[in-house]
Amino acid sequence: MLKLMKYEFRKTMFSKMILLAITAVFEALFLAGIFLDWENGIVFGVMGLVLCTFIGIFYIGLESLLVFHRDLNTKQSYMLFLTPRNSYQILGAKVLENGISLFLAGCFFIVLAAADYTVAVVRLGGFKELLDMVEAFLTMIQIEVDITVVDSVVAVLEVLALWLMTIVTGALAIVLSATVLAGKRFSGLVSFLIFMLITWGCNTLINHIPELSTMTFTYLVQALAALLLTVVMYVVSGWVMERKLSV
Amino acid sequence: MLECNEIMKTYGRKTAVDHVSLKLEPGRIYAMLGPNGSGKTTLMKMAVGLVKPNSGEFLYNGNPVGRESRREIAYMSTEPYFYGWMTAGDVGRYYGDFFEDFSMERYLYLLDRMELTPEMKAKALSSGMMAKLKIAVTMARKARVYLLDEPLNGIDLLARDVIIRSVLEECADDVALVISSHLVDELERVVDTAIFMKEGRLAMMGDIEELRMRQGKSVVDLYREIYGHGGEETC
Amino acid sequence: MEYNTAIPIYLQVMTSIKRDIVTGRIKPGAKLPSVRDLALQYSINPNTVSRVYRELETEELCFTRRGMGTFVTEDAGRVEKLREDMAQELVREFLAGIRQLGMTDEEALQLLKQYREREKMTGTA
Repeated sequence: MLKLMKYEFRKTMFSKMILLAITAVFEALFLAGIFLDWENGIVFGVMGLVLCTFIGIFYIGLESLLVFHRDLNTKQSYMLFLTPRNSYQILGAKVLENGISLFLAGCFFIVLAAADYTVAVVRLGGFKELLDMVEAFLTMIQIEVDITVVDSVVAVLEVLALWLMTIVTGALAIVLSATVLAGKRFSGLVSFLIFMLITWGCNTLINHIPELSTMTFTYLVQALAALLLTVVMYVVSGWVMERKLSV
Repeated sequence: MLECNEIMKTYGRKTAVDHVSLKLEPGRIYAMLGPNGSGKTTLMKMAVGLVKPNSGEFLYNGNPVGRESRREIAYMSTEPYFYGWMTAGDVGRYYGDFFEDFSMERYLYLLDRMELTPEMKAKALSSGMMAKLKIAVTMARKARVYLLDEPLNGIDLLARDVIIRSVLEECADDVALVISSHLVDELERVVDTAIFMKEGRLAMMGDIEELRMRQGKSVVDLYREIYGHGGEETC
Repeated sequence: MEYNTAIPIYLQVMTSIKRDIVTGRIKPGAKLPSVRDLALQYSINPNTVSRVYRELETEELCFTRRGMGTFVTEDAGRVEKLREDMAQELVREFLAGIRQLGMTDEEALQLLKQYREREKMTGTA
């Protein structure tokens, strides 16, 4: 499984490096803006970093689907399906690698944002202001710890979990178009409609989870529900692949 | 050791393999013969589980083929299938990662004999060199069954000898080898059993030396009888 | 080695080995290559080689020592007999061919002599 994941990572390594490089450029722009008091640098840097975060996370997920589509529909499929591994392991490696990549990218951008924020506060307001802020922050934590830090992190995790669920739904649609719908007319369109339908169904289901005692708890339950649905769709995809997939 | 029962595969309206049953024994080298589109490739792909049959099944030592059987069955496809970023060395490391029976030492030796180097980019290889790379990485495994789909396709005469030699080196009492080809001549002296495929069906299967002895016929003669023409011009 | 694909390959390889024994290229009592090595040497199927060795053994030209391999007979008389048999076979084939052309055996003898003379003259002997 780890070996499969290693090669899954290898397939998307290049675009992840590019994402990192572009992020580094905007980060440099931002830091230059901060330290050289160059306002445009700060503005473009922040805009670029925000864009990198959203487009980056979006693209990491999308690319895994592109790779999966290629792995099923070109001769490169033999690289995977000739190995002594079954469909669950092959698909599992993909989902896990993607999930971990998304999670790490999410953490990376959160940490970067926090660091940049700190740098900005220190540089623009000096250390005294930072200490004041930390102090104010600490007093705040005692009262509303949930909403400020933990809550926002859990919210980000939920977004990532929902995104991962959408990706696995996409994978299921790709599997269906390559198996039961293979060779049929409009197989691409039909599988896209199936994708839309399942996504809608899953999101409706998650939105119907009643509000719980705290926001954090609600987010957490929603994230877990999304992960559960991800697992269900993963198992269904693997099952169909194992029985029907001809590459 | 590897057998199929009434196996059938259709693509849309076209029947690629039509209720074929056959059994491979260890210690033998088989030639799978027939023009393009006669079902050779589909049959081989079903034997490793790349293609799932509509009905019937492939069994390896009595169990349906799948993840476990792929540990001991080495398949080489006609088409190149390596990832674009790979060098010949990467291809070897990939096989080493997934197949316990793969020997890097033997792979490097075979590469050398095929006049390839581990630094070569798989994507940049000519079709002849690619064919050699595929053979090298497949024969560097110590498998129990080798299924080679058109290993001599697009390969010059000298390299054919090298390839046939690497194939013969892996032949042993507990190993079965299947070589598909439309170049009937090349396989005459190497194989002991011929499997003739015609329009998705098994047209004939038999011992070649018996055939020569009883009927004084070569495989080429028989090919001509079954298909109405010699093997060479079909491709 | 070139093969006639309509004749069993084991027979052709046997003939080749027999010729080597008769001409002394393989000495009496010498060890023959293993099945695998001979298969590689002749680029043929190992099962064909096994059969070659089996047939040579039934003709008492070879014998197998368990765990040691296959050896050529040490019996000089047997080798001499093989030479005669092979010569006989060539003569039989030659005469059969001549007779098929509607020629007599005397004419065949005459032809042989003439052929020898011509070879001597052109120095191709």
